[in-house]
Amino acid sequence: MTNHFTDIANADAVLIMGSNAAEHHPIAFKWVLKAKEKGAPVIHVDPKFSRTSARSTFHVPLRSGTDIAFMGGMVKYILENELYFKEYVAEYTNSAFIVSDKFSFKDGMFSGYNAEKKVYDKSSWSFEMDGAGQVKRDPSLKNPRCVFQLLKAHYSRYDLDKVSETTGVTKENLLKVYKAFAATGKPDKAGTVLYALGWTQHTVGVQNIRLSAIIQLLLGNIGVAGGGINALRGEPNVQGSSDHAILYHILPGYHAMPHAGWANLAEYLKANTPVTKDPMSVNWWGNRPKYMVSLLKAWFGDTGTEANGFGYDWLPKAEPGEDYSYIFLFDRMYKGKVRGGFVYGTNPAQSAPNSHKVRKALENLDWMVVGELHHTETSDFWRRPGVDSKKIKTEVFMLPSAQRGEKEGSVSNSGRWLMWHYKAAEPMGQSKPMGVMAVEIMNAVRDLYKQEGGAFPEPVLNLDWPETYQPEEITKKINGYFTRDTKIGDKLYKKGQLVPGFPNLQADGSTSSYNWLYCGGYSETEGNLAKRRNLTQTPMQAKIKLFPLFSWAWPLNRRVLYNRASVDKNGNPYNPAKAVIAWQDGKWVGDVPDGPWPPMAMKGGKYPFIMTTEGHAQLFGPGREDGPMPEHYEPAETPVKSHAFSGQLSNPCMKKATSDMDLLADPGDPRFPIVLTTYSMTEHWCGGGDTRNTPPLLEAEPQLYVEMSPQLAKEKGIQNGDVVVVESIRGKVEAVAMVTVRLRPFMVQGRIVHEIGMPFCFGWTTPKCGDATNRLTSSVGDPNTTIPEYKASLVNIRKATKVTEL
Amino acid sequence: MPKAFLIDTTRCTACRGCQVSCKEWKGFPAVPTKQRGTHQNPPDLTHYNFKLVRFSEYLEGDTVKWYFFPDQCRHCIDAPCKGASSIDGSIIQDAATGAILYTEKTVKEDFETIRSACPYDIPRKDPKTKRIVKCNMCIDRVQANKLPMCVKTCALGAMNFGDRDVMLKLAAERLVAVQKDFPAAQLCDMESVSTIYLVADTPSKYHKFAVADASGAPGMTRKEMLAGLLAPLRKTTKQLQ
Amino acid sequence: MSVSRRGFIKLLGAGTACLGLSKLGIDLGPAQAYAAGLKTEGCKEFVSICPFCACCCNTIISVRDGKIISVEGDPDYPVSGGGLCAKGAALLTMHVNKHRITKPLYRAPGSTKWVEKEWSWTIDRIARKIKETRDHDFITKDAKGRQVNRLESMFQLGSSQMDNEECALSHQMLRGLGVVHMDHQARI
Repeated sequence: MTNHFTDIANADAVLIMGSNAAEHHPIAFKWVLKAKEKGAPVIHVDPKFSRTSARSTFHVPLRSGTDIAFMGGMVKYILENELYFKEYVAEYTNSAFIVSDKFSFKDGMFSGYNAEKKVYDKSSWSFEMDGAGQVKRDPSLKNPRCVFQLLKAHYSRYDLDKVSETTGVTKENLLKVYKAFAATGKPDKAGTVLYALGWTQHTVGVQNIRLSAIIQLLLGNIGVAGGGINALRGEPNVQGSSDHAILYHILPGYHAMPHAGWANLAEYLKANTPVTKDPMSVNWWGNRPKYMVSLLKAWFGDTGTEANGFGYDWLPKAEPGEDYSYIFLFDRMYKGKVRGGFVYGTNPAQSAPNSHKVRKALENLDWMVVGELHHTETSDFWRRPGVDSKKIKTEVFMLPSAQRGEKEGSVSNSGRWLMWHYKAAEPMGQSKPMGVMAVEIMNAVRDLYKQEGGAFPEPVLNLDWPETYQPEEITKKINGYFTRDTKIGDKLYKKGQLVPGFPNLQADGSTSSYNWLYCGGYSETEGNLAKRRNLTQTPMQAKIKLFPLFSWAWPLNRRVLYNRASVDKNGNPYNPAKAVIAWQDGKWVGDVPDGPWPPMAMKGGKYPFIMTTEGHAQLFGPGREDGPMPEHYEPAETPVKSHAFSGQLSNPCMKKATSDMDLLADPGDPRFPIVLTTYSMTEHWCGGGDTRNTPPLLEAEPQLYVEMSPQLAKEKGIQNGDVVVVESIRGKVEAVAMVTVRLRPFMVQGRIVHEIGMPFCFGWTTPKCGDATNRLTSSVGDPNTTIPEYKASLVNIRKATKVTEL
Repeated sequence: MPKAFLIDTTRCTACRGCQVSCKEWKGFPAVPTKQRGTHQNPPDLTHYNFKLVRFSEYLEGDTVKWYFFPDQCRHCIDAPCKGASSIDGSIIQDAATGAILYTEKTVKEDFETIRSACPYDIPRKDPKTKRIVKCNMCIDRVQANKLPMCVKTCALGAMNFGDRDVMLKLAAERLVAVQKDFPAAQLCDMESVSTIYLVADTPSKYHKFAVADASGAPGMTRKEMLAGLLAPLRKTTKQLQ
Repeated sequence: MSVSRRGFIKLLGAGTACLGLSKLGIDLGPAQAYAAGLKTEGCKEFVSICPFCACCCNTIISVRDGKIISVEGDPDYPVSGGGLCAKGAALLTMHVNKHRITKPLYRAPGSTKWVEKEWSWTIDRIARKIKETRDHDFITKDAKGRQVNRLESMFQLGSSQMDNEECALSHQMLRGLGVVHMDHQARI
């Protein structure tokens, strides 16, 4: 989240799109209701009428996978009716930047596409530079190649007729949403966008969010109280575990994973440290060397020296352009290229797409370690229905894991608040925290390498690795230490002292930190700030429910990111009633500002968007794989054969696995005419392992269901409560029909398209509750993230003649 | 000061925190359930489910209405079930809070009599202990100055609990606010119960037994009248037996 | 009776209920006997955090003699104000739960069942598997002859259920081993 949960109450309009906030973030929804009770319209745009819709001011159903068409129409509406926040757009975004004349967009395709590799050469998506190395700008925004004009031209095609026939949303409903949300384009109004997996789980997932960012920037809603783009993140510590990057493509603190093209630290830093010639741009990523070297020092301690790139030389280097995410891991596993591995607190046999393939792939492993609380469809894949266990050679280790209340440590909420949880009781039986498992296993491996040697032992043996798992010692190490006596300015820090915030991290090996973002979270004077429970605030902070002394937020306890964009060039809040920061008597008050510099118009002032190279928010975003401006493409499996916006049907860059089990239905495939979306629910958690094993929750939601409209049920001769078979080109699933007026047929391109919805939490280890819905979904993903397209598959349904799974 | 619940259904998201926390606090095991084409589960109150969120949905014109009703004992001010009881001390009313409490002596009551006396169809019989059971206002918690568990668990402001006059004031304020958007909003049986529901639409659209008399007629329902009139007779009969 | 009781209740102000009642000679016995005390009476309380969505509702766990007796929302957490959804409300059952695994389990190749094992045996065996895999499959140079130091045949999935401290160590361990196939719930 750019903002945080209590801040939602400050919104003058709430757009919930790609999220079922009330069901998946039930407690956070409290703040949506607070905004609503103060008069904010709460707008829910989603294929299904859910518990969120029930509490929203209005619900607008849209066909899965058409969010870009929907929002593209909103951009057009905002621009053509001049409802954007002009000063903000002109000063704080890259609207005035002149784009290279090599850039073009024709019939759904941007310039630079390589059809063979299915990737873009992005070099033409760049800005023109002047002689001084600065981006050329046209402050009048009239140059036809300035970002503002390109944006206007791009979305001029998104008229109400086209958007309506694509999305299945009536023109009246489109206008109702556009009008209500665009009203926040006034300087003293804020609109918030709440999204979740409904946006990310598409082959255009990243561009869904990009387009919401464009809308929010046009309306001046970034950096302000009650604004922002707020990912309601699903998992318990998915924020923290993303920050610490249990992900193939990044290192802790959002540094690119080293690849074979960057042979040493100098090459890596050169490629990943942006530079700007504009003195008013902070270009914060210019600090990357300090953070990367401090990370390496935390990993390798004294063994990491300048001579070995502080340990960079030992690190694994990915193959450039290679994808090591879920979809491709299971593809390689299916092809017999993976020998063994670890599965901690996740259940891919249930929650990864195309479960039949995933389950089959697991059979090819020699060994697997599962850290869990209970049996799952993954841990017990070798005894699943229909397989002969004796033929499966995999050795499986099941490590009993401690529950949350049986261990201490910190987690980060979606609003980036770092919070401590204490150990209340001993772990049940012989169960252990996962941290203990990792430390003990790695120490055993290190012992083996010490005794026997082996392949490239340096990184294994040179790690600065603990003997035992002591959580708070690690919290300190995440914050970081001085590795030697160090003078910064006129202040001397002793070796072993905690680093007071990331501005003090160094690139010369004199500091260590597991994660620069968290540097400042543990202080010499105040201790572990994750433990803070102080609810006091200044009146200015209280007005916007900032709670700056409760816990600690990264970065540097800043609660609203990009807050320098909430004030004008002189530091005066655009909305004085809900000011985030303000420049008063020569200093900033309110939230921790995005850097200490004075307001933009003053001497030494800086642009507000400090994380971009040029200091401006990116309406035109050259960094994404599939285009600098979002464009509508149909899902990989789509009920239509063409669409109104271009001849390019689906995302030309989407990722696809290509084994014999990765079948896709054709566009408009008559065998599979129905759109399926999948989701979670309040009572069960993701793959469902934790909650299916919790009887009061299974009591409330006992079995797999499929929600469908009365019209579709009638067409198919299905009664409410009947068991039906849902079938895609990849598999079949039994489910109980829930015939409900909450799902409605869509009018798409002049004909009816039905959409149905199913949860994915039910699996065979819980008797008679149903089995993986993901047997229906496909291994296709977004080109930027490889997040699978769970939200739009093609299926058919029929009444079951024989019931085996329920 | 007697206590009251205000259940503001216009703030309920049916997260079912109340339904589950009730079971958890009371240590009740789960009852077996099936998916029957609705999210409402278990289908009805049970001896292990004193609190149940009821779901009902309607398509009105082009608008979907989905109503949530966290059903529980109303702790009637003049409780018909108590009136219908024939054993002294089987159904008592806590003087301090107004809570209607079913004691171990309910094993000797005729369950059908007690259940049919209740205009809200709340009492259930525990097949193991043979006791008649229902919500007890978490009297253990309330006596320890804690909120009933369902209220404690509700973050959305749907479940409220406190001194009756405070709840009545809150109810009136919320009614005025809600009526701006939903003119049919009303407070269910406010005068005669300690569990007051604020609904945005006709009560029967939320639940068959949302109000004592679904027809909306003023005054006592047939059940209330019968319970009240027959109570002394039953007691006498029981004593004579 | 009902009229007089209503009248009587109206007489009482907040906080004077007990005094008033006893003065008026009302017997409080049955209700108090009925309630029979609070199950968390005398428990130690610990602040924890619900392990579900990234709202991270703070909880209070009540513990007596090392056993978890109850879990409630923590009213001091500004986001929740003490509330919990159905999942958070079920945390007691989630902790004290017969479905939980309490000992390391091992499934041998071709076996049809799990068997219980000691931790020490399990850790040693896993370490051996890691080393065998790594020593066998470690890739020092890629096809173009570039130094890559990577192990493609071993993976880790998860977990967002880990604390920040566990994530930091887990990542360090995996890169130390050369693992490139690592991913977690942020992707799915």
